[in-house]
Amino acid sequence: MYKLLLSWRYLKTRFIALASIISVTLGVATLIVVNSVMSGFVDEMKDRLHGILSDVEMAAPGLGEIPYPDMHIKAIEEVAGEDLVAVTQVVRVPALMNFEFRGRSWTQQVMLMGIDEATFGEVTDFLPFLMNEHKQNRLSFSLEESGYHERIGNSGWDYRRKKAANQKQLNRWMQSTDRQTVAAKNKKQSVNLAKFQPLPTPTTKFEQTTDSEQPAPASFTGFDQRSDLRPQISPEEMFDAERDQYTGVVLGIAMANRKFVNEETGERDELFMLRPGDDIQITLPTSGTSPQAITENLTLVDFYSSNMHEYDSSFAFMPLRKLQEIRKMIDPSTGMTSVSSIQIKLKPDADLSGIRDALIARFPPAEFPYVIQTWQDTQGPLLSAVNMEVTILNILLFLIIAVAGFGILATFYMIVVEKTKDIGILKALGAPSSGVMSIFLGYGLSLGIVGTGVGIVLGLLFVFNINSIADVVAWITGQEIFSPEIYYFNEIPTIISPFTVAMVALGAIAIAVLASVLPALRAARLHPVEALRYE
Amino acid sequence: MSNAVSESKLKDNKSTNPTHLRLAKQSALQVIGLRKSYRKAKHEIPVLKGVDLQINEGDFTAIVGQSGSGKSTLLHLLATLDKPDSGEIWFGDSRIDNLPSRHLEHLRNQKFGLVFQFYHLLPELTTIENVLVPRMIQDGMWSYWRNRKKYRTRALELLEIVGLSDRLYHYPRQLSGGEMQRTAIARSLVSNPSVLLADEPTGNLDKENGSEVMKTLFELQRNENLTIVMVTHDESIAAEADHIVKLEDGRVCMT
Repeated sequence: MYKLLLSWRYLKTRFIALASIISVTLGVATLIVVNSVMSGFVDEMKDRLHGILSDVEMAAPGLGEIPYPDMHIKAIEEVAGEDLVAVTQVVRVPALMNFEFRGRSWTQQVMLMGIDEATFGEVTDFLPFLMNEHKQNRLSFSLEESGYHERIGNSGWDYRRKKAANQKQLNRWMQSTDRQTVAAKNKKQSVNLAKFQPLPTPTTKFEQTTDSEQPAPASFTGFDQRSDLRPQISPEEMFDAERDQYTGVVLGIAMANRKFVNEETGERDELFMLRPGDDIQITLPTSGTSPQAITENLTLVDFYSSNMHEYDSSFAFMPLRKLQEIRKMIDPSTGMTSVSSIQIKLKPDADLSGIRDALIARFPPAEFPYVIQTWQDTQGPLLSAVNMEVTILNILLFLIIAVAGFGILATFYMIVVEKTKDIGILKALGAPSSGVMSIFLGYGLSLGIVGTGVGIVLGLLFVFNINSIADVVAWITGQEIFSPEIYYFNEIPTIISPFTVAMVALGAIAIAVLASVLPALRAARLHPVEALRYE
Repeated sequence: MSNAVSESKLKDNKSTNPTHLRLAKQSALQVIGLRKSYRKAKHEIPVLKGVDLQINEGDFTAIVGQSGSGKSTLLHLLATLDKPDSGEIWFGDSRIDNLPSRHLEHLRNQKFGLVFQFYHLLPELTTIENVLVPRMIQDGMWSYWRNRKKYRTRALELLEIVGLSDRLYHYPRQLSGGEMQRTAIARSLVSNPSVLLADEPTGNLDKENGSEVMKTLFELQRNENLTIVMVTHDESIAAEADHIVKLEDGRVCMT
C-alpha cells in the first residue's frame, strides 16, 4: 500500500520527473504520427500501384509479343487452378500523342495499352480510378453524354457537339473569307482559274473536314464544275464530329491537366488541355520485323486518375482489338492474335509467389523468354525502399525514447539520492528492500504510463487533425507539406494500427521501467543507518 | 510480511539464556558482550567494546553518555537496524542479532517502535498517513484495505493521546518540531509494539516542547505498559527514568 501511495505522491510532487518524461511523450506521439502517416502512405501507394497491375503478369520483354495467347491462357488456367479469378490480354506499346490546344500542336509520349473491355476491369482495380461514373461500373470506350467529374468542367457529347459546331462555323467563315480573297485576287490579276483549281478535299469517313457541305460562293465557279469528281458519300456515312467519335481512348489525367496557383485568388487551380470529347492523334510503331509509324485518330472518352503520378502521366488505354488491328498483330490468314502480356487475377488469399514460380516452371525461361512476376515484384524496389524507410524511421524514433530513458535514469538517480533519508525511514519501520525497490519501479512505471498515455493522446489527436495541422503549417511557412502536385493526395492518408500503438506504448513503458531499475536497486541496497544519517 | 514465519523463527531462536533465567523481572531486551566497530578508510574504529545490558519489561531506561560513547550505535543494534560484530542480543527469550533480514524487518515493524532525534517523517505524507505507514508496510494492499478502519481508529487514538487530533491532514512541513516528534511517537506505537526505542527524542526541541514529548512518553509507558529505551545526553531527562545506563568509551560504566 505504501509503495502505491509513495509512488503516487512522488509523481504528484516531483515535476522534474514529469519533465524527464516529456521526451517519452514526444517520442511516443512522433512514433504514432509517423507510423500512421507512413502506413497510410504505403497503403495508398500499394492500392495505386496495384491499380492497373494485375496480381501476376506474364509479359513479353520490350516490344516483344506473346503469340497464341489463348493457348497460354489455357496453360495458366491449368497452373493456377482454383486460385484463378480472371485473365486478360494486354498490348502495351510506347506511342506519341499529339493534340491541339489553343491553336498549337502539343506532343508527348505515352504508354499505350490495349485492353479488353470485358476482362481488364475484372483483373485489375482499374475501374474505380476512371473519372466518369458510368464507366466505373462497366468499361466502354464510347463517349458519354454525362457522368463526368465536375472538376473537369464541360465535357462529353455536349462539349463535343458544341466544339464541332463551332469548328464548322469557323471553317465556313474561313472558307468564305478565303474564296472572297481568291476571287478578288483573280479579278485583279486576271488569272485563269481553271488551270489552278484546287483539288477537291478528300473526305473519307474518318476525317473531320466538312467543307463539302458548304455551298460554294457564286464567284467560285471552278469548284462547282469539278464537284462531280467527288466520291459519292451520303452525309450519314461521312464522319461528323458532332455525331461521331473515333475509337475511344482513356488518358491518365496528368497528361491533360496542368496545375497552377491562381494568382488572383491565391488558390490551387488546374487547366485541362484536353477534355473528354476532344480528339487526339496517336503515332505508334506497327508490329513485325520492320516496324513502321502509323498515326491514328482517337477520341478522348475519359480520364484515369490513380493519383500515382507515374501512372497518370504516362498511361493511355484503348480497345485491345483496335490496337491489335492498327499494329497488325492479327494474322490475316489465321486470324490468330498476339499480345504483349497476359495479366492474371488470383483469389485474395492465393500465394502469388508460389503461382508465379509454378508459371515460371510451366514456361521455362529457356523456351519462353517471358517476364513472369507478381505486382510486388514489378514495384519491388519502390516497396522495399518504402519499407526500409519505415524501419529506419522507427529505429531512429525509438532511439529518441531510449535517450529519454537515460534522462529518466539520471532524474531517478537524483530522486533516490534526494530520498535517501526517506528510504532509511521506511527501512527502519520494517519495509523490506523489495518494497523500497517497488516504490521506485512503480514510480518509473507510473511515469512511463503517464508519459506514454499523454503521448498516445497527443499522437492520435495529431493524426486525426493532421490535414488541418498541415494547412496551418503551410499557412505559417508558406510552403505546402504534401504538395498535391507531387503526391497527388487531396488529404494526407493515415492508418492507425492498434497493434503498432500498443507496441510503441509497451516499448516506451518498458524503457521507463528499465531506466528506473538501477536507481531502484541503489535505493534497495541502502543501509538503513547510513540512509538515516544522510544529510 | 509473513508474521507467522517471523513468529515461528523467533520461537525457534529460543534457547536457554542463563542470565535471563536468573532474573526476577521479565527481561524485554538483553545484550551480552556486544561489540561493534566502524571502518573508516583503512582504519577500524571500535565503538562498542563489549556491552552487557538488560532492559526489563515496562521499564523506562535512559542511556546516557558523551558524544561518541556509542549510545546511538547501541540503540541501532537494539533496534536491529545494524548488526553487531560479535555478542548477542535477546528479545524476550529469543536471540535476534542473527536473524535473517526479513525477520528483523518484522521485528522493527511489529515489536519495536522507533523514534529519532530528527523525527524522520515522510514529507510527502500527511500526519495521519505518516502514523499509518508501519501498518501499510505490515499489510498487503488488500489486507490493509480490509483493516483500514481498525488501523485508522488506532492512529486517531494515538494522535489524540499525543495531542495532534487537529493536525491530521497537515504535512510535516506545516508542523512544529514538537508536533513532528509527537507524530513520530504516534507512528512508533501504531503497531502496538512492546518496546519503544528513542534516539534523543528531545535533542532537537526546545525545553518546553522537550518536556511535552517526555510527558507523553512517560504517560505512554504507564498507560500502555511500554518498555522504553531512550538515548539522551540530557542528564535532567535521564534522571526521571527508572534506570540509567551510562556508556563511556564503548562500555557500560554505570547502571
